[in-house]
Amino acid sequence: MSDLAPFWLSVQIAAMATIVIVAAGVPTAWLLARREFPGKSLVAGLLVLPIVLPPTVLGYAMLQVIGRRALVGHWLESSTGITLVFHWSGAVVAAAVAAFPLFLLPARGAFEAVDPALEDVARLLGRGELSVFLSVTLPLAWRGLAAGMVLVFARSLGDFGTTLMVAGNIPGVTQTASLAIYDAIVLGNDSARAGRLTLMISAVSIGALWVVQRTLPAGRPTR
Amino acid sequence: MSVENDGPVLDVRLSHRVHPGLALDVALSLGREVGVLFGRSGTGKTTLLRLIAGLARPESGRIQLGPETLFDSARRIDRRLRDRRVGMIFQDDRLFPHRSVAANIRFGLKGWPRAEADARSAEVAAICGVEHLLDRSPATLSGGERQRVGLARALAPRPRLLLCDEPVSALDLASRHAMLRRLRDVRRIEGIPMLYVTHGVDEAVAIGSRLFLLEGGRIVGEGSPLDVLAASRRPDNDVPIAFEGLRNVFPGQVASHAPEQNATTLRLDEGPELIVGHLDRPVGTTVLVEIRADDILLAKGPVEGLSARNQIPGIIERIVARGAEVEAVIQTLGITWIVSLVAPAVAQLVLRPGIAVHLIIKARSCHVIVPDNPTS
Repeated sequence: MSDLAPFWLSVQIAAMATIVIVAAGVPTAWLLARREFPGKSLVAGLLVLPIVLPPTVLGYAMLQVIGRRALVGHWLESSTGITLVFHWSGAVVAAAVAAFPLFLLPARGAFEAVDPALEDVARLLGRGELSVFLSVTLPLAWRGLAAGMVLVFARSLGDFGTTLMVAGNIPGVTQTASLAIYDAIVLGNDSARAGRLTLMISAVSIGALWVVQRTLPAGRPTR
Repeated sequence: MSVENDGPVLDVRLSHRVHPGLALDVALSLGREVGVLFGRSGTGKTTLLRLIAGLARPESGRIQLGPETLFDSARRIDRRLRDRRVGMIFQDDRLFPHRSVAANIRFGLKGWPRAEADARSAEVAAICGVEHLLDRSPATLSGGERQRVGLARALAPRPRLLLCDEPVSALDLASRHAMLRRLRDVRRIEGIPMLYVTHGVDEAVAIGSRLFLLEGGRIVGEGSPLDVLAASRRPDNDVPIAFEGLRNVFPGQVASHAPEQNATTLRLDEGPELIVGHLDRPVGTTVLVEIRADDILLAKGPVEGLSARNQIPGIIERIVARGAEVEAVIQTLGITWIVSLVAPAVAQLVLRPGIAVHLIIKARSCHVIVPDNPTS
């Protein structure tokens, strides 16, 4: 079994999880930063839960929702034929859910840091809401969003517990680098393989962190 | 400027509770002119401006701009910000930090044909004196430059009304004058009606053709800035107006010049003469002179060998204690002055109503305000 396969799978899963997180996270973070609605603090709290729950607990909870006999999982399979569990797509969902708060928190902060007065100025100058978001809010928040993106990518890259619970550990199918390292030590006692994978994953993660460090200090828009 | 008389452009009638201690209750009509909303801080000036702009929603009332109703609580009309076509500049510049000066100015021209947008942004950049800054980032500009860019940006889409919320109060003196000059140019070239919020006497006189005096959420005086401001300082007026930092404000005329002494003598309306620093205006020019209440000394008789050039005899009318400070209201020839003193001084000099005193005023303490448009 090549080292590259689990590594490449990890990168792909992390990239897709990042896309899923950003797609769901940008509107959610904007809503939490800019709108008031009943139950807002409850929603905000629930969305941060994945950080505090043990990964196995999170994985178990997810199985109760997207498992083949669970409500959402069953409906998904019968209507579209997609089965998430024990499939790479399940690993994407698992990694995305586990890492989601790491995007949501900085993204919400980034949107909150954009002066609403600037958005009002844009409205006074004749711009509609979408235009205000695209031409003022987003460009002024992008550093925070980018930092969150890098964080969740790095976090997804190393996801272990939740992925194992939801997608299993099937070599060539759902065996990511983290799982392969575990197997190499526990089953195969192949510490050379574990070492190589560790190096590869660490290089990408540390590289990502370096990008975050470069991005964050000047994260506030210049005013 | 005959266009000033063709009926109100802006008609505002609204009630709005700002906070438990302040309720706005305002009726205001503005023609094609510059209206100044004048008053102390906390009287609701800025709130009123924000309500007109649409940045906040009034509890009840009506805002009419030209033929269009921007807001009417009875008819449930509340035009969206983007549809109001009202320009606004603020105390801080509120430029978009991620866009160049040129992109800031063009921000409100989205959807314009390119050639028209180019022409319009060049035009407003020239009026506001920022044409040499177009490629710069807002972060590299001085405070005065930023405010002028903000003005150009607000004007670009040809708003029907320009709202100015203390746009020069954060600027140094030189930038302040430059900005006020640009605003007067805007008024002259664009002919756009403006509503200008300030608590500065010189600004109000320099820019305004009509002044609305706001006190406790209500308009308590309206008219030409010189008249309203001069009247409002009289303690015998029913309307108690306390300016920030007590000031004496009097209208007067240039009476004579003494260039060798670097001095100009003003004749205050119905009042005494006052020597001030040399003023480069012809005899007969109408001015406003402003003297801080704590810049005036009191003496119980004429004083000799004094460097201050003005000694004006008067009679103490009354003495009002305000905490540690004491205000003496003093009558001189035709004019009522306010002098602020500390309590021990009052005791030491045995000041009481009916006593004759001399007001001692340095020429340098007299701040002369020359209206730009004495006809209005």
